[in-house]
Amino acid sequence: MAKLGWKIWLLIIVVIFSLIAIFGIPPKFLESGVVINSVEKNSTVFNQGLRQGQIITEINGNKIESLDDFSDIVNKTFVGNDPVKVDIQTDEGEFVLFLSQPPEITVSNIPSTNLKTGLDLSGGARALVQGENHTLTTQETSDLVSILENRFNTFGISDVRISPVSDLSNNHFILIEIAGATPSDLNDLISQQGNFEAKIGNDTVFIGGKKDITSVARSGQEAGITSCSQDASGVYYCNFQFALYLSPVAAERQGALTQNLSVVPGDSSGNYLSQPLDLYLDGQLVDSLRISQDLRGRVTTQISITGSGSGTTNEEAIKAAQANMNKLQTILITGSLPFKLQVAKLDTISPTLGSDFVKSILFAGFFSLIGVAIVVGIRYKKINEVIVLLITVVSEIIIILGVAALISWNLDLLGIAGILATIGTGIDQQIIILDESRKYHEISVKERLRRAFVIIIGAYFTALVSLLPLLWAGAGLLKGFAVTTLIGITIGILITRPAFTDMVKSIEE
Amino acid sequence: MEENKKTKFGKFHDNYYKLSLLISILLFITSIVYIGYFYNQTGDFLIKDISLTGGTSVTIPKALDPIKLTNDLQSKLDSVSIHEISDLTTGQQIGTIIQTKSDSDVTRSVLESYLGYKLTTDNSSFEFTGASLSSSFYEQLILAVLVAFLLMSIVIFILFRSFVPSSAVVISAAADILMTLAVVDFLKIEMSSAGIVAFLMLIGYSVDTDILLTNRVLKRAGNINDKIWSSFKTGITMTLTALVSVLVSLFIVKSTSIVLTQIFTVLTIGLLFDIFNTWVTNVSLLKWYVIKKEGGESRMENPKGVHNG
Repeated sequence: MAKLGWKIWLLIIVVIFSLIAIFGIPPKFLESGVVINSVEKNSTVFNQGLRQGQIITEINGNKIESLDDFSDIVNKTFVGNDPVKVDIQTDEGEFVLFLSQPPEITVSNIPSTNLKTGLDLSGGARALVQGENHTLTTQETSDLVSILENRFNTFGISDVRISPVSDLSNNHFILIEIAGATPSDLNDLISQQGNFEAKIGNDTVFIGGKKDITSVARSGQEAGITSCSQDASGVYYCNFQFALYLSPVAAERQGALTQNLSVVPGDSSGNYLSQPLDLYLDGQLVDSLRISQDLRGRVTTQISITGSGSGTTNEEAIKAAQANMNKLQTILITGSLPFKLQVAKLDTISPTLGSDFVKSILFAGFFSLIGVAIVVGIRYKKINEVIVLLITVVSEIIIILGVAALISWNLDLLGIAGILATIGTGIDQQIIILDESRKYHEISVKERLRRAFVIIIGAYFTALVSLLPLLWAGAGLLKGFAVTTLIGITIGILITRPAFTDMVKSIEE
Repeated sequence: MEENKKTKFGKFHDNYYKLSLLISILLFITSIVYIGYFYNQTGDFLIKDISLTGGTSVTIPKALDPIKLTNDLQSKLDSVSIHEISDLTTGQQIGTIIQTKSDSDVTRSVLESYLGYKLTTDNSSFEFTGASLSSSFYEQLILAVLVAFLLMSIVIFILFRSFVPSSAVVISAAADILMTLAVVDFLKIEMSSAGIVAFLMLIGYSVDTDILLTNRVLKRAGNINDKIWSSFKTGITMTLTALVSVLVSLFIVKSTSIVLTQIFTVLTIGLLFDIFNTWVTNVSLLKWYVIKKEGGESRMENPKGVHNG
């Protein structure tokens, strides 16, 4: 066995590190448990220290090995409304809690690798938002990002990434990416400006946001579904109601504005003032609340807001009403967006389709490698060459994936196309090396391989510069391709090609 | 045998290489004329799919009859086209992709009333691109291809520091792209943003063999025909392996992914043209240049070095 040169050793070491980066130590596929994806902020479990990323291995002495185990135990433990002792064993220690309802966390099976797949493979939602009739500046974009982040968190979506992006024409966008399940009213949540106004006649009493509203009840006695009914056409309606608390200034304004209203006779439940409190959302009247006569001129801070939702079944109507309530509460708490936004692109990808893609890509990769091996085998008629070439290609794939895992790069469909492209050019370069080393026997192997490298470096730089524009074009949505290809060809030129050269050298000598 | 083959090839090539350049020029002009005609007819250089015109693409993991679906939806949605997704091993249809220029809200409600159930993220994927964003996407991608091409040309000129050989590489790459575009137009293949990215990939793939050829011919000693022949042997292996892997991938992804299918289709056409443009267009231009230059120099200094077969 020929002595291995340092370039080959380097390749071996980098491959080992890449495998560690991909699978972790100890390998992730050997771990059992479920991983916490999100923890509701300020919930009991959050305050006790449960955090995203922790792995739950045991609950009340029962081993948790899968998502099913977890939901089984949660369903069994929380039957009534009485507080129960829950002993949660995680990789970061034990948590003993007294809970009356299931912990406010979402969990999933532990992924078998550290690789992250993009939206088009794993499912989720992606939206690209821009100003409507208004070109956003950098400052405005970053302001909007923080307002939207607040809005999403208040709405209850925590697994969201909001970032400012710009494109080659210097247009600014906001990119919103949500992994996994997507709320059905995402469109509203993003683009609704949320200009909430409560008016009596033409006078504004209060608006949405912190200035006028001190707090909004989200659960418990003061917020929820009040009644459901079915109309003649069979559609179900459910009403919701929640309390909100005005700031003293807004409460006084309301007092002053109701002072001059007259009392009109009402129904059995009492008399009302002559004008209602009209609630407007983005200029549209969403509700009119009658004001009972005893509130005339009084400075009250608490107001009840009502609304409804509809559906073809009772359950659907309840869900719709809850969603509408949550949306309205979110807007009241976070206030309006400074600009009207429009959704320029909105993708909601079902997670079920991604696995088919991955399957066909793995197939494609495997069979192309076999095809390449056959062509190379026919051309060189030597098994050694084929083996060395395949070893190099496979190590290159491992290293690219290792780097992707290390920098938490989201591999999307185009990124995988990039990996395929890299492998293609990589094989091309190895063929150059093979041919250079086999010919020109009048000069030394070293010189022959140096010549091969001159060609390869030329090819590398042309590929490099032709990918650069793609990093910015199209608001960066095609970046996946450029980045994986850049990673791939750079690894090729720095690590795998030199090692391949050494392997060829030892075969030739 | 090898020697014999080589000299035979050399003789043949010496006689015909200038003539073969005529084929290149003819093909080049035909492509440009066809693209011009196409532009005149359609108002654009290629047929854009909804990711570049704006519209909605819906994927439903359910086998729906494409012909019936097209007929039923035609009146309700703007320019509907239906694609099938089929299982890799059984070939059975397992899903349907519906593409339309209508926006996602309209598409959703039309499909929901047609199918009779609500479309959620569990049973469907929606991809919507607004018209203004997609037209700016398109412009930028075209710009990206042009800038990439320009940067590639600069690198080539720096690499070889010689006008004619560098131009020959750049011309071959341009010919690859234009001829591929002409065929894509001729076959009426709809292009998405990914399809345009494939043209970028083509730039990278196509210059590899040209660099190999130019490097061997310019920077090494020996008979020019020998150098061309040995470069051809290496280069054709490179292109063939690339072609094999692209074709195999195309065959496999055809049933599942429109995006990857477009990329691999463009690459297949492009690689085929690359064989022609590297080994006819580029070789002829380069050979002409080398013979002319060496001929001129050798008359003054070194008559022994004339390489005219």
